[in-house]
Amino acid sequence: MKRQNRVGSRLVIGLMFLFLYAPILLLIIFSFNAGDSSAVWKGFSLQWYGKLFQNRLIMESVYTTLLVSLLATAIATVAGTFAAIGLYSLGRKRREALLTVNNIPMMNADIVTGVSLCLFFVAFFQGWGTFARWFNSVQSAVELPDRLVLGFTTLLLAHIAFDIPYVILNVAPKLRQMDRNLMDAAQDLGCTWMQAFWKVMLPEIKPGIVSGALIAFTMSIDDFIISYFTAGSASSTLAMAIYGMTKKRVTPEVNAVSTILFLSVLLLLVLSNIKEVRAEARERLGAARKPSALDRARMKLAEPRFKWLRRGTAAVLACAFIASVSFLSYATSSRPVVNVCSWGEYIDEDLITQFEEATGIRVNYQTAESNEALYSLLKSGGADYDVVVPSDYMIGRLIAEDMLEPLDYSQIPNFSLIDDRFKNLSYDPDNRYTVPYTWGTLGIIYNTAMVDGEITSWSALYDDKYAGNVLLINNSRDAIGEALLYLGYSVNTTDEAQIREAYELVADANRRGVFQGRVMDEVFQKMEGGNAAIATYYAGDYLSMVDNQAEGVDLAFVIPEEGSNWFVDAMCMLKDAPHQEEAHKWINFIASTEANLANMDYIWYASPNREALEKYPAYYEELYGEELDPEVYEIMAAPPETLERCEAYLNLPAATLNLYNALWTQLGTS
Amino acid sequence: MSKELIRLTDCVMAFDDEVVLDKINLSIRDKEFLTLLGPSGCGKTTTLRIIGGFQTPTSGDVLFDGVRINAVPPHKRTINTVFQKYALFPHLNVYENIAFGLRIPKADAKGNKVKLPEEEIDRRVMEMLEIVNLKGFEKRRTTQLSGGQQQRVAIARALVNRPKVLLLDEPLGALDLKLRKDMQNELKRIQKAMEITFVYVTHDQEEALAMSDTVVVMDAGRIQQIGSPEDIYNEPKNAFVADFIGESNIIDGVMRADGVVEIFNRRFQCLDGGFDKDEPVDVVIRPEDVDIVSEDQGQLRGTVTSVTFKGMQYDIIVDFYGFKWLIQTTDLSPVGSRIGIKIDPDGIHVMKKSEYSGLFGDYSSYSEEYEEISDASYDPEGEDSGDEE
Repeated sequence: MKRQNRVGSRLVIGLMFLFLYAPILLLIIFSFNAGDSSAVWKGFSLQWYGKLFQNRLIMESVYTTLLVSLLATAIATVAGTFAAIGLYSLGRKRREALLTVNNIPMMNADIVTGVSLCLFFVAFFQGWGTFARWFNSVQSAVELPDRLVLGFTTLLLAHIAFDIPYVILNVAPKLRQMDRNLMDAAQDLGCTWMQAFWKVMLPEIKPGIVSGALIAFTMSIDDFIISYFTAGSASSTLAMAIYGMTKKRVTPEVNAVSTILFLSVLLLLVLSNIKEVRAEARERLGAARKPSALDRARMKLAEPRFKWLRRGTAAVLACAFIASVSFLSYATSSRPVVNVCSWGEYIDEDLITQFEEATGIRVNYQTAESNEALYSLLKSGGADYDVVVPSDYMIGRLIAEDMLEPLDYSQIPNFSLIDDRFKNLSYDPDNRYTVPYTWGTLGIIYNTAMVDGEITSWSALYDDKYAGNVLLINNSRDAIGEALLYLGYSVNTTDEAQIREAYELVADANRRGVFQGRVMDEVFQKMEGGNAAIATYYAGDYLSMVDNQAEGVDLAFVIPEEGSNWFVDAMCMLKDAPHQEEAHKWINFIASTEANLANMDYIWYASPNREALEKYPAYYEELYGEELDPEVYEIMAAPPETLERCEAYLNLPAATLNLYNALWTQLGTS
Repeated sequence: MSKELIRLTDCVMAFDDEVVLDKINLSIRDKEFLTLLGPSGCGKTTTLRIIGGFQTPTSGDVLFDGVRINAVPPHKRTINTVFQKYALFPHLNVYENIAFGLRIPKADAKGNKVKLPEEEIDRRVMEMLEIVNLKGFEKRRTTQLSGGQQQRVAIARALVNRPKVLLLDEPLGALDLKLRKDMQNELKRIQKAMEITFVYVTHDQEEALAMSDTVVVMDAGRIQQIGSPEDIYNEPKNAFVADFIGESNIIDGVMRADGVVEIFNRRFQCLDGGFDKDEPVDVVIRPEDVDIVSEDQGQLRGTVTSVTFKGMQYDIIVDFYGFKWLIQTTDLSPVGSRIGIKIDPDGIHVMKKSEYSGLFGDYSSYSEEYEEISDASYDPEGEDSGDEE
């Protein structure tokens, strides 16, 4: 019996560890995948590590993350340590009370901390703006900036704020353990308080400071939510950059960077543990233990005659750190800049470099994860982007709410290259605000190996034949839109009865178990791996799925006979954008034929540039030495007769949007 | 009589309106061994910390060599301290603990910071190790030392700086009895050899009497009596001192005339005078000053209620008219026997009535546990700001 129990408990422990570490292991394995799928293994390769270091967005965010984490950790460690010491000079009751207060931010939900910090900063900026305008009006000697925005500084302040409690929490117990007379004794022997702190208190509480700093550092690196609310437009951390990619798909570079991150944290932990174990061993063995070579070297270094060496090293390190910080601030402040917010994996990054080299303007390229997220970020007032790339219906909304600045088309000569089909569209009828970026179609992606014959109608989505094998797109507009199209209605209908009818179609199929689930990004893994038969997604993404499909999977794409949605993402400039001249230059550059060709090849979404659209097959042939499959080209850039069947989304009135939301929530619970 | 080194004038110490020291006036002479004696919470450690500079009195002056030093921080005073539980630096070995104070650069006459040369430091540390009998322990970690050894490191660490005054805060409190006796002699020897002033805090009256030139008895934030050990023992100023120092029978009496005091309606000859006629007083009679005689020859007559053998003598409790006395005698009188007592005039000490009258000196509840109980109430942490963990 007993033996059995032991086997059982070992099994449980084993399963537990498997559950904890299997995902990380999988991530590490797939970071070495030769293919770019996260589901299908295509052989060993280091290519993602190579690409990682060329991925500007990720590298910049890694740099920001490390800089913020290191700076915040350093500042929070010093501040937290002295705060803890201060707490210990207070009476016990006040100390206990303050320690409890200190613990609250750690217990607090990150979202609350993030939102409240964001609110606080924005409120402060407003107050500051009023003060600065008044101050500038009464004197002219000093010109104060009156328009502050969220950015690196607020991000850093937020990180310091949430790091400090962790430092205090780790230092406090060490202070409690310390004999209170030690500080008195040191001062009694001739030290000033500061000398006593360095010579006596610091060695005593060092383990607490080190563990506090380590925890603060990992918390900083790890944080997403608070950063998301306080970073504004100018900087993004790694976590934010990865999240920004989810509108398209997470690239395997993320696996590589996560692997590196995981291994570095692991290394840090192992090192600190080894140090602790050795210190304990030394304590136990005392003088009996012979000092190791390392100890001897350390002891030698500690001798007074090597003081210059120790101080020199410290000085060099400090200088290097200050230099890198000032380089960043130089790089961010002295050059003209344009702040762009787009979607993840939505640009050939070489274009950014080309633009910077040609114009000397630094591109601060950030990403949002959806139109709605972008909208709320803009509404919160925390962002100061110049150029954004929303989709058609969202542009309509931004124009309606007077959030966009009209463009000066005389500064955008390349606008003439845009095909007339993509000008004066319903969201911007007089074309005063926008220059189209890409366009594409929504269609059905299916695995021919799992369905009978060709699929031509949306009806396949609701067909019991494919029960459990259909992936419903997790987006109310698209999911209900498909049903509206199937029923022969407009995707922009505001007729409640029609919308309800469409919803019932979806809900009924849902009840019958037709849908395997509601997905956005998972659609890639599912379809590539042959785990689902039918899904709806965008044409460009279908092409990247085909590239990664596993053995035995044969994907096809169709725009159903009932028609579909087609979309345009267009560049626009935000109202009162601070860098309008640079923004115009950027928009003109991206509208050029060369840029459109590069982007079309990189993201596989169709270009609105007439020349680029015509030249792409030749461009492809030149680049890859093989002919572009006309079928692929047709899927990428739907021909006019297909596009005729398709309808773009319009910005719906609030009542209709609310209906969509209500129905969508209802579907989740039915 | 050597010159005065430290003077406290009307020193008051209050924490959050709680008065810990109430107008202390104290003079400490050069090279003397002065002990602050009192129960826990009496203010003796606070007095020590004021002298050391760790606390600034709420009001009053601290003078050192005639100069006011109220605001001088500890590191600028030529005073060093041996702390309760020693406060040795755990991250340093014995040698570095002792060398700690020497390694701090000190301002010379011109105000320049000067460092002692290594050879000088080494010479002085080794000299101190010799004095405290710890040669060969230089490289040991302090956590590997016994209590007595740690104690001696703490003393060496303080003395190596050649202070004018050494403050010792219950330095022997954590040692066992045998070691404590050895260390008492050791401390006395060191004080004589180094010729410096020791200010010593203890709650142990035996220790105080054995080591001190001057004993300062404190209670409730006030000094109750200052004097040589003999004065304190023989001429206690009030019932508190009489009770705290040794054993005492303290009886209500009335002064009928100079040299005549009445207790239990009987008149006794004594040596005290200067009281008003018929003034109520406290009368202290030490247990060893009572002679036991046969019942009919006694000035007072009573019944033995308890006998305890103490090795050198018997402690017997005798009931006189309902009031129980402690008497120490070498003659055994069995429980229940009737005895008489005689007291010589120099065995009777008359004190003015004080706030302590009636609180001490009654042995009706005396038992063998008595001393242990009073010892158990000793709390080494209880004296600071009342704020410790």
